[in-house]
Amino acid sequence: MDVAARGLGKATSRSGERALGVAALVAVVVSAILSLVVAPPDAVQGEVQRLMYVHVPAAWLAYLSFFVVFVASVAYLKTHRIRWDRIAAASAEIGVLFTALAIALGALWGKPIWGTWWTWDPRLTTTAMLLLIYLAYLAVRRVVDNPSRRARWAAVIGIVGFVDVPIVHLSVVWWRSLHQQATLLRVGGPEIHGSMLVALLSGVVAFTLVYAYLMTLRLRVGRLEERSVREALSPQVGELEEADA
Amino acid sequence: MHPSSETSVRAATVAIELRGVTRLFGTIPAIVRANLRVERGEVVVLRGPNGAGKTTLLRIAATALSPTYGRGSILGFDLEREREEIRLRSDLLSHRTRLYEDLGAAENLAFWCRLLGLDAAGIDAALERVGMLEVAGERVRGFSQGMRQRIAVARTIIRRPDLLLLDEPYTGLDAEARHAVDDLIREAARDGRTVLMATHHPAPEAVAHRELHVDGGRIVREAP
Amino acid sequence: MTARAEHVASSAPFLRQAMAIAAKDLRIEVRGRHALGTLLPFAATLLVSFGFAFGPGRDVLERTAPGLLWMATLFAAVMAARRSYQAETEDDALEGLLLAPVDKAAVFLGKAVAVTLELLVLVIAVLLMVVVLFDLSPGNPFALLGAFALGTVGLAAVGGLFGVVAEAERTREAVFPMLVLPLVTPVLIAGVRATDLATTGQAGEAAQWLGLLLAFDIVFVSVGILVFGHLMED
Repeated sequence: MDVAARGLGKATSRSGERALGVAALVAVVVSAILSLVVAPPDAVQGEVQRLMYVHVPAAWLAYLSFFVVFVASVAYLKTHRIRWDRIAAASAEIGVLFTALAIALGALWGKPIWGTWWTWDPRLTTTAMLLLIYLAYLAVRRVVDNPSRRARWAAVIGIVGFVDVPIVHLSVVWWRSLHQQATLLRVGGPEIHGSMLVALLSGVVAFTLVYAYLMTLRLRVGRLEERSVREALSPQVGELEEADA
Repeated sequence: MHPSSETSVRAATVAIELRGVTRLFGTIPAIVRANLRVERGEVVVLRGPNGAGKTTLLRIAATALSPTYGRGSILGFDLEREREEIRLRSDLLSHRTRLYEDLGAAENLAFWCRLLGLDAAGIDAALERVGMLEVAGERVRGFSQGMRQRIAVARTIIRRPDLLLLDEPYTGLDAEARHAVDDLIREAARDGRTVLMATHHPAPEAVAHRELHVDGGRIVREAP
Repeated sequence: MTARAEHVASSAPFLRQAMAIAAKDLRIEVRGRHALGTLLPFAATLLVSFGFAFGPGRDVLERTAPGLLWMATLFAAVMAARRSYQAETEDDALEGLLLAPVDKAAVFLGKAVAVTLELLVLVIAVLLMVVVLFDLSPGNPFALLGAFALGTVGLAAVGGLFGVVAEAERTREAVFPMLVLPLVTPVLIAGVRATDLATTGQAGEAAQWLGLLLAFDIVFVSVGILVFGHLMED
């Protein structure tokens, strides 16, 4: 636990943050070049298929963010250190954005291919449910004033939601198998061209770096918020030890 | 034989010990750096204006709230880590009586007895003591605050907690109910059990006690 | 010299605590008829409204009956769970349970059991209504009841877990259903599928869906037992 916390501390220093931002920017540019220029257009779907290079990484990040929420939630309930609650909250906020993005891109991709915005594709559908659970998580956070209660309740939702997602996915996959409609994604099939795979992976790396950068930003904002709260309190409270570094 | 009776010997002479306890609700500090020490068998009364933090202090001692900062021990058990042990031995009486509206007085008590593994035989005697035996079968929904509080007192009588916590227990009570509360405190004091109470009301007669003044989230002074 | 007070209270074993809580909840329900008094008319109204919305052609109603059944059960579960916790907050009884030396997981289990039983009574009544209104043939009753038994357990577990949230001070009306409904998606999907198969004589294939419901139940009851205490503490 402590090693992870110290690593996090290093990443969240100002120089660490800047380095991360630069790395993310570089990765995004590289990935864009690979996806838009280097990789060939798809034989069947044409240029539209290039949406995959953004959609898949966005979806990957949606699930990664939620995994981080899960881990941080467990860590909070075990240690009661507020740092983990901050991480969970930040990851949830960023995760909502990536999830919404993944769904929007999926719909954009599906429209020209299938003629409709929404085909109940199993992965997209599960991602949509994930979005709803995230939104419920954030809604509960907004509603509860008491910070320790808010952290606890959010942590429980973060854990329960994450455990539920595989079950949701399974049920949707079985449900959809009643109507054999092809899914959007053919990644991993024999037709995937080498450079397409490279472009895809570069997108995943780029998005992960963007996520990490956004996390450090959000955590810093969170710490500033707390510091101003503490300073507003200090006439009455005196010096309170900083709860977490 | 209670499995925890050996550990209850550990509880030494201090019933409540709070060190540097601070409780924040968002940006509002309810209790700031409170240090409190209550010996076993003492009766301590907290006085102070509304919003001073008396309720918060009591609720922390009752383990209904955890401190944002600070540590403490109740009856020798750690405030953070051994809460269930504390809950086994303490009881909190406030103006919220924690009854189920659709059950009768006796049924409410029977439920608590079942839950806590207590003998239901004491229910009638306890209700008699607080003068509620005649209406034992009626639903709580129709009862006045005074009647409800008397049932709560009966519940505490059955539980016989080592530590009795009371938060403005006299609020909205008629004379009979006030007597019941006073009786409870007197009995506890007589038995050498510890009492911590927050109230604007005078303490029961003939009960030796110490007064603490709470204001702005701090324990400001001791009254002689 | 202070006499050392005798320590009278101890704690009952876990299952007995859970059963005491379930019994208390059911007794309150029987007395007050809160859940059944509002849920049954609500379900009936819902079904009749659906009848108007999708009828009067029998085949559409017949095809959509399983879905409507489960939607009604879903909404009823949300309302029943909410009502279960309302009784606890009228007089702060929930805090009483918190401060009692009671295993908090027993509170969860007891409440979930009580809500399950209330829902089952409701489900049977609603099933009869649907058989009459929408001409749904009961098909294989074992598979049918099995689906509803397993489904209501899952719904009660999720509702019983998060019902605490429903009663928080500033919680707006929609937060609790918003929380519960996405989580119980597998119950909805599996329940409707199983019901459809059971009523159209394909009970054998319903087994896979019943398995999914069972897995959901096991997961959520276990997780609920593990984490519920955290929802009660402050």
